[in-house]
Amino acid sequence: MKLETIRLNRINIRDERFRFSYFFDIASLARSVAATGLLNPPLLRAAGSRFVIVSGWKRVLACREAGVPEIPALVTDQTDDLKLFLAVVEENRWHRALSLMDKAEILKKLQAFGVGEKALVRDIMPALALPATASHLRRLGELARARRDVRRHAHEKEIPFSLLESFLRFGEADRSRLLAVLFPLGQNKQKELLDDLRGVVRRDGITVRRLLSGGAIGEALRSEALSPLQKAERVRGLLRKLRYPALSAQQEAFEAALRKLGRPAEIVIQPSPFFEDENVSISFRFKSAAELRDRLRKLERLASRPELLRLFRE
Amino acid sequence: MKKDSIFRPSTVLLEKGAEDTPTARRVLGNCPDIPRLTVSGRREVEERIAGVVDPVGEGKKVLFLSRHKGSFIKPCPCTARYIGCSYFIINSVLNCPLDCTYCILQLYLGGGPLTVFCNLERLWTEIDRLLAKTRGRPVRIGTGELSDSLALDHLTGASGELVAFFRQRPRAILELKTKTADLERLLRLRPAENVVVSWSLNPDAVVGQDEAGAPPVGARLEAAAEATRRGFPVGFHFDPLILFRGWEEAYGRLIDSLFRSVPARRIRWISLGSLRFPPALKGIIEARFPESRLVHAELVPGRDGKLRYFKPLRLELYRKIVALIRHAGGREIPLYFCMEDSEVWERVLKWRPRRKADVELSLSPRSVGSKSVP
Repeated sequence: MKLETIRLNRINIRDERFRFSYFFDIASLARSVAATGLLNPPLLRAAGSRFVIVSGWKRVLACREAGVPEIPALVTDQTDDLKLFLAVVEENRWHRALSLMDKAEILKKLQAFGVGEKALVRDIMPALALPATASHLRRLGELARARRDVRRHAHEKEIPFSLLESFLRFGEADRSRLLAVLFPLGQNKQKELLDDLRGVVRRDGITVRRLLSGGAIGEALRSEALSPLQKAERVRGLLRKLRYPALSAQQEAFEAALRKLGRPAEIVIQPSPFFEDENVSISFRFKSAAELRDRLRKLERLASRPELLRLFRE
Repeated sequence: MKKDSIFRPSTVLLEKGAEDTPTARRVLGNCPDIPRLTVSGRREVEERIAGVVDPVGEGKKVLFLSRHKGSFIKPCPCTARYIGCSYFIINSVLNCPLDCTYCILQLYLGGGPLTVFCNLERLWTEIDRLLAKTRGRPVRIGTGELSDSLALDHLTGASGELVAFFRQRPRAILELKTKTADLERLLRLRPAENVVVSWSLNPDAVVGQDEAGAPPVGARLEAAAEATRRGFPVGFHFDPLILFRGWEEAYGRLIDSLFRSVPARRIRWISLGSLRFPPALKGIIEARFPESRLVHAELVPGRDGKLRYFKPLRLELYRKIVALIRHAGGREIPLYFCMEDSEVWERVLKWRPRRKADVELSLSPRSVGSKSVP
């Protein structure tokens, strides 16, 4: 390996055979390079009369952005691409946390270098802290082949595999359609929304497009008065009702019964989780004997109301 | 099971030390043209299976002949916070060649191979030890928990040994639970009143969609009718009951057909249980059976964390099925729920078991424990 000064126009940035990271902030590094120069040279490999980047994509792109004409670079004489790539992966693995997107790209590149499925599952996936199964490999392959907007979202939002798996079950066009709805929500809500959406679509035999464009969901998504987060939350609530109609009806009936009962604000009455048990629970807080007596009096009054029975399953 | 759908493994994997047992010799004798391989143990088999896209499906294709290192008999674990029935299970076979969408074994055994334990001499000792410990009460015990009781019988011939053994122990009731319809070996045996052959039933709409490899329900009922004609008592399991468009009519037709095929007086029990599974199985079902709609029903977490139909839907389902059974001729047949709570028992069957022994007593006629069985 030799340290050389290489003109940037001799680096073929279209050759991405060793690249597995795509989404990074070039501008801030470009400013730093313009101010202090490039301190850590990238690793290149000769390819004909030009060079390909083995490691240091971000640095090279930042130098281009900063208008630097030439850079110091380490040039390797290793010609076995697979060995080089594995070494780069190994080095990256120890000095930074690889995202799921990075890992998906690594697996895709290794397949392109001729590594078979079995070897990937057995040797590479455990080293990348991925579950060593062929179905995980297949899903990550889908991610690596997904459209750029989906890959960017997966990378920037650090989507965990379980959520990603749920997301990738939708077709390419639906994925892009869903990004805007999912983007404002936290990961748990994203997962819930995707599960509910898939459930409704599969159960009712309708398309995602039709479901998202029609009825109250379509209205919410077209609304100009709602923020992206409000739209996403509205859609989530509407999907939940569609997905769990009997449960939603029971919840509404319970809330209506509570209103009828005239529950005092200090007393909380709740059904069992998902109405699985017959009983309801009552809770309240107090910080003095007088408050406790007050709550008990209110409970006494509640217990004598005939409307109380409406809280229970008939 | 129809003749043409009888299970044939792709490979027989023989664990060192298991080859010199009557069961292994019988299986190998029944698989003369199937490739066989000697392996060091389960781990080696699992490593062979791992790495394919569908290890669960792959595990169902190979037959692993092994020696059981733990206990063959266990109390049925039922599920936390629901009412059990004091059942015991015999784990002489692990995994099942049938591939039902809803099957818990996909999760429970993962990509484990279809395993036949060959050291049955220990099983007989364990059963006698259990009977000694449970003196004075009937014991129901079955082989259909971690496999189908009869799906491998054409290879193992286990039913012959089991029936012969239990015939001499009338206080124990052996249940052979199956979805298959090929009873050739079993029906050659002299029946015993304490050996109940039972079938899991679902309408053909469910069988076609979600019970891959299992024969149509008509074939199961024909097999059940034949079993009763030969003198075996029978049982039925409507489990898992599935909600789908037209379920009432479909179950109605199935139940009518059941009572036209089998005399009610020979039905020892019917169990009811609705679709339920741990949340972790959902992803497996979606990956392995993307066309199935089972997981997209209104399933919510129960007290045990398993997903099950929202309770008012379950109650409606059970009430209807019970009414259909009673109306079709099953008024006197003991019914019980699998993994349900006391509210369901009371609202549907009008009695509330206080403990699982109450359920056991309702299913075990005194006559079974008190007199010898011919």
